[in-house]
Amino acid sequence: MATNLNERLVKIILPNILGYERIAMASSASLAKMFGFSSERIEDLKTIVAEAAINAMQHGNKGRTDSEVAVTIRFKDNAIHVAVTDQGDGIAEVLPKPDIHRIMNKQDPPVGFGVFLIQELADGVEFNIDTDDGHCVNIVVKRESNQVEDAARK
Amino acid sequence: MQHENEIKLEKQGDVTIMDIKGDITAFSDPFLNNAYQEANNQGTRKIILKSNKEAYINSGGIALLIQLLAQIKRNNQRVVIAGVSDHFKKIFNMVGITKFAPIYDTEEAALQILAAKPD
Repeated sequence: MATNLNERLVKIILPNILGYERIAMASSASLAKMFGFSSERIEDLKTIVAEAAINAMQHGNKGRTDSEVAVTIRFKDNAIHVAVTDQGDGIAEVLPKPDIHRIMNKQDPPVGFGVFLIQELADGVEFNIDTDDGHCVNIVVKRESNQVEDAARK
Repeated sequence: MQHENEIKLEKQGDVTIMDIKGDITAFSDPFLNNAYQEANNQGTRKIILKSNKEAYINSGGIALLIQLLAQIKRNNQRVVIAGVSDHFKKIFNMVGITKFAPIYDTEEAALQILAAKPD
């Protein structure tokens, strides 16, 4: 589906190659900087975009090198809205929060950190959305972090 | 694209500093393992995992670091982390890494802590 790009909306198409998530990270950081995000919030956004793109490559597209990952980044309502779309069947299940004690004791495999970090750092996440272009994850990152608001309330 | 790490081992008294150059991702596996095995073969009891504030660390790298910490713990060695950015201090705290390896801003601060505590 065509996307009407403008000064608040960019779209990046990545090859399904680990490491190329850095291109989406850098682009999202540039857009966030244009709209006045703090360096701390930009670092959060970079990690969120990287992990969503890696998930799309590894779990959505299952590593297929003939597939691609689309990342759209939009500034709207004082937040960056990120949509990461793969060409796979979606993520079968969202893994539970990784338990580092169980992982250290080899009771659990060392997995689930990407989704966990997205959920912790973002202000809103929706997984497994069906679109005309594939399966999508939608993420919202506010200019002012909820982590700051949470800390202030304590 | 380069996915290599150069990991320099440096002895400071009874402490081994694993100085990790480059990003820490799933591709770092052989480099981290080889460096740790070399440190282990030298009989080290105290380790500083040193990165730098510009390094990109993703979930694959975090998984590797946790597996490395598990090995270090099984070998009854002590470990601290030095040199990571404020962002990755926050991330390491979120995933629980800091329960097993405290983080210090500099190599010097990490060395002081390890030197002050008995083996």
